[in-house]
Amino acid sequence: MATNPMHQFQVHRIGPEINIAGIDLSFTNASLFMLLSAAAICGVLFLGTKQKKIIPDKFQLISEIFYNFIAKMISDTAGSKAKPYFPFIFSLFMFVLFCNMLGMLPYSFTVTSHIIVTLLMAMFIFIAVTVIGFAKHGFGYLKLFVPNGVPVVLMPLITVIEIISYLSRPVSLSVRLFANMMAGHTMLKVFGGFVISLGVLGGWLPLGFSVALTGLEILVAFLQAYVFAILTCIYLNDALNLHH
Amino acid sequence: MANLNDFKTRLKIAKEKLKSSYENADNKGNTSSMGSAFKLSTDLVAHVAVGTIIGFIFDSWFDTKPWLIIIFFFLGSISGILNVIKTAKQMQEKD
Repeated sequence: MATNPMHQFQVHRIGPEINIAGIDLSFTNASLFMLLSAAAICGVLFLGTKQKKIIPDKFQLISEIFYNFIAKMISDTAGSKAKPYFPFIFSLFMFVLFCNMLGMLPYSFTVTSHIIVTLLMAMFIFIAVTVIGFAKHGFGYLKLFVPNGVPVVLMPLITVIEIISYLSRPVSLSVRLFANMMAGHTMLKVFGGFVISLGVLGGWLPLGFSVALTGLEILVAFLQAYVFAILTCIYLNDALNLHH
Repeated sequence: MANLNDFKTRLKIAKEKLKSSYENADNKGNTSSMGSAFKLSTDLVAHVAVGTIIGFIFDSWFDTKPWLIIIFFFLGSISGILNVIKTAKQMQEKD
């Protein structure tokens, strides 16, 4: 079973089985890694904000880099009106980033390689953005589906297309993150398996590929967290600054 | 005190910079090119998939199998392609 490349994605129970009202709420390896990444985020940010030095140490520096990065991303894509949503986007980015990065450690579990986790986050964003849009603009938010300057004849068609486009946001958001993480980790496992099966003579080439892929996967892990956060900003921008 | 004043002016300049960057913010996505590549590829698939799923649900509601699934499959494809064109235009405007 250890050579099966999909074995790494199995969720299994840790500790006793907890069953409340027919729902399995047991503590699993997925819950463990979610907790670990949350703890890691808290740890880094706590160490970074403990003493505010003029010349920052490593943890303070990395916390400041994260803060500036997200603040600039929000100001660039969604403008000043999105400032109150900074804590949400910051936690979202940090959680996805740390889950992806913890998944890069050998023998660890990648939480974001399960579509239910990414779909939950994407649906939360989708519903939140829709609620914010209706709260800010009332029924005027529906203008999002009716672009300006469209001939009346084409209007029903364009509206249907815009609605499909709006509904596909959570799907593309969740599938992108899940598929990238799962494909990358499966590929790493497959090349790892080649190293073993080809032995000392032929195993060097896949070993080199594995090393290169690990670098690529670290890039993808960061990039997917970035794309997830920036798309949240773009959707938030649509809801806050309605102009079509 | 000179040191403190110096720090104060620097803080002021930094704050103004941040403020102006918030004010000048345009509404275009500033994704890196690789990020947009990921976005484009999954968007195209997701639009078609969502269109087809909507068609499937409507078909079982109105009992019109298989017409709505066919129509909505094409509507989803159109929507996906239009979305890619829109994103590409935004990327071109930025350059």
